[in-house]
Amino acid sequence: MILEISKLQKTYGNRTVVNIIDLQINAGETVGIVGNNGAGKTTLFRMLLDLIRPDQGEILSKGEQIARDGQWKDYTASYLDEGYLIDYLTSEEYFVFIGSLHKMSVAHVMDYLEQFQEFFNEEILGKGKYIRDFSKGNQNKVGIAAALMQAPELLVLDEPFANLDPTTQIRLKTLIKSLKQERNMTTLISSHDLNHVTDVCDRIILMEKGLIIKDLRTNENTLMELEAYFSG
Amino acid sequence: MLETFLDHQWKAFWRSKNKGGTIATQIFIGIIVVYLLGAAFFLGFSMEIFITQFFPGKDIFIVFNGVILYYFAVDFLMRMQLQELPTLSVVPYLHLKIQKKKIVNFLNTRALFSAFNILPLFLFLPFCATAISDIYDPFTALMYVVSILSLTVFNNYAALYIKRRSIQNLKIVPLVLLLIIALGLLEYFKVFSISAISNRVFGFVATYPLAGFGFMLFATLMFQLNARYLRSNLYVEELSKNEAKKTSTDYPFLDRFGEIGTLVALELKLILRNKRSRSAVTMSLLFLFYGFLFYKKELLDLDKLELMLFASVFMTGNCISIYGQFMFGWQSSHFDGLMANKIDIRNFIKAKFLMFTLFSTFTTLIACLYGFLSWKILVIQFAAYLYNIGIGTVIVLYFATRNYRSMDLSKGSTFNFQGVGASQWVLGLPYFLAPYVILLPFSLSGSPYWGFIALGACGLTACLTREFWVSFIVDEFNKRKHKITEGFREKS
Repeated sequence: MILEISKLQKTYGNRTVVNIIDLQINAGETVGIVGNNGAGKTTLFRMLLDLIRPDQGEILSKGEQIARDGQWKDYTASYLDEGYLIDYLTSEEYFVFIGSLHKMSVAHVMDYLEQFQEFFNEEILGKGKYIRDFSKGNQNKVGIAAALMQAPELLVLDEPFANLDPTTQIRLKTLIKSLKQERNMTTLISSHDLNHVTDVCDRIILMEKGLIIKDLRTNENTLMELEAYFSG
Repeated sequence: MLETFLDHQWKAFWRSKNKGGTIATQIFIGIIVVYLLGAAFFLGFSMEIFITQFFPGKDIFIVFNGVILYYFAVDFLMRMQLQELPTLSVVPYLHLKIQKKKIVNFLNTRALFSAFNILPLFLFLPFCATAISDIYDPFTALMYVVSILSLTVFNNYAALYIKRRSIQNLKIVPLVLLLIIALGLLEYFKVFSISAISNRVFGFVATYPLAGFGFMLFATLMFQLNARYLRSNLYVEELSKNEAKKTSTDYPFLDRFGEIGTLVALELKLILRNKRSRSAVTMSLLFLFYGFLFYKKELLDLDKLELMLFASVFMTGNCISIYGQFMFGWQSSHFDGLMANKIDIRNFIKAKFLMFTLFSTFTTLIACLYGFLSWKILVIQFAAYLYNIGIGTVIVLYFATRNYRSMDLSKGSTFNFQGVGASQWVLGLPYFLAPYVILLPFSLSGSPYWGFIALGACGLTACLTREFWVSFIVDEFNKRKHKITEGFREKS
């Protein structure tokens, strides 16, 4: 059990944005979270990463309360939005900085980035640009690659497929699948793209107005089921 | 169309989320504006008296005529530094069914709304309306007004034009600067004098008032040049950024501090690579000239050192207070990332302490040059330095944990009140009052040196017990961490 959430609640004004009685994520699962805007996906992720304080309830990561100590940061990597990127750095500087937080040397980081050559498609490294001057899609790539570089046991990505070109979308899916195989990595992904989530995830959680209304094991009928929900 | 554009701008100004922020800030800005305009108006009306006071025995008109071009030369320099290019505001309109001509017209009209264009009216018009109208005739006065207005317009568009050209061609700025320095040197070595030229030019206008239209011609030409350039270059890319190649840098001397050093390096890059932080730090270096105002020979000889307390504390620590007052807002755009990543908050806070210490040491070393005036200055500055790095840092960081406002770093810092909140206003009080509280009991009871020794001792004690203060700040930070991240997520 890598994540246990119980009685988690967050309200803004009189609107409850997240209300989860009980949710458990097992190690090695790839979980997709779907739902329309305002379903509470991002708020949930932010609470998981201790960026928002829940009004009620608790979140345990490997049995430890995440709000109490920072142990979970050793094995959790995430990319939610541009708010993660230090936009006045070059992409190399950013990777080196993130790597240094995990005691990776510069050589180590550069070595690791070799693996991402294909993913980057020659758009990211050696461009002589600050991150703020990259396009949205390329900024996204930098953030995702920086998260993956930390070799996490738990990976949290908020709408990773948005802004990515089709080739990179497919490469990202392959990457997530292979990391799950190799390292038993747990992944949490939110997405509006039902095809991608059903393709890459083995469990799908459907949220609506802060509540979990469906929790499915992915099978050949899942996509249809989801499409039925969203068109209804 | 133009009205619609201006209406949108008006709304953008009043509705921008972080504009002024608190009522206190808005009142403050209001007071400053009224003060400046009032001062200009007062100066304008009493110009005759001032001129006779300061240049006794000289002809009033010669002085006045001599001043005009001088004013506009300085005005031009200031504009190059401070005037913002109102270009990005048109981006949302570029793809719509609107003629380019109209957009350019809007940009040019929008550019007129600047304090630089109002100031000369207040300064010069009263004199024209009274003195010149009396001595010569109303028509001459009118032509003076026309000339001055034309010069204002000319400067306005010339500054914008050069700034725009410089976006595409970085060589222009150094070229213009060289030209200006050359002119300044020529003036300094009395090869020629702006005021003499100004005098001759406006003397000519006084005798042949119609010559004033000449200025109007120049202004129109400049306006046309600017408008034509804009029309042919109305692309977002060309309006906003340049394509100089950026390289990675690192600071090896910080490596020995481990993660703390990495975090300091990160913030140094932040300061150097963002406009607002860069100008804030430059400003704090300019304040090093404060000493010439406060360190007076007579006072030093009389040992009235308490009077120099503020200056010494401010000079050796202004980078702490000026840069630190917005902390951690400088990092607001990527604060989520910092918090979600594996950064030890203790190291995060220690990095701030280290950076402040480095800053303050640097400015103090420069300020030591005042030691040539008197060795006493070195003593008081050293005490002030210890106070700054020991106690000042703690005060600044304590207030930083209560600052929830995000900052936009892409604008300059002069008169920029975005991201200013209550904590910035309160911060100054304890920071600059505390030294007096420590110093006065000692210096009143005996020699002023005891006061400075006490101040230095307090600072040193705080330095030596830094671990305790770090823990204190970390606790305060953790209490309000979520509120800070939430505040920073709200962008203006």
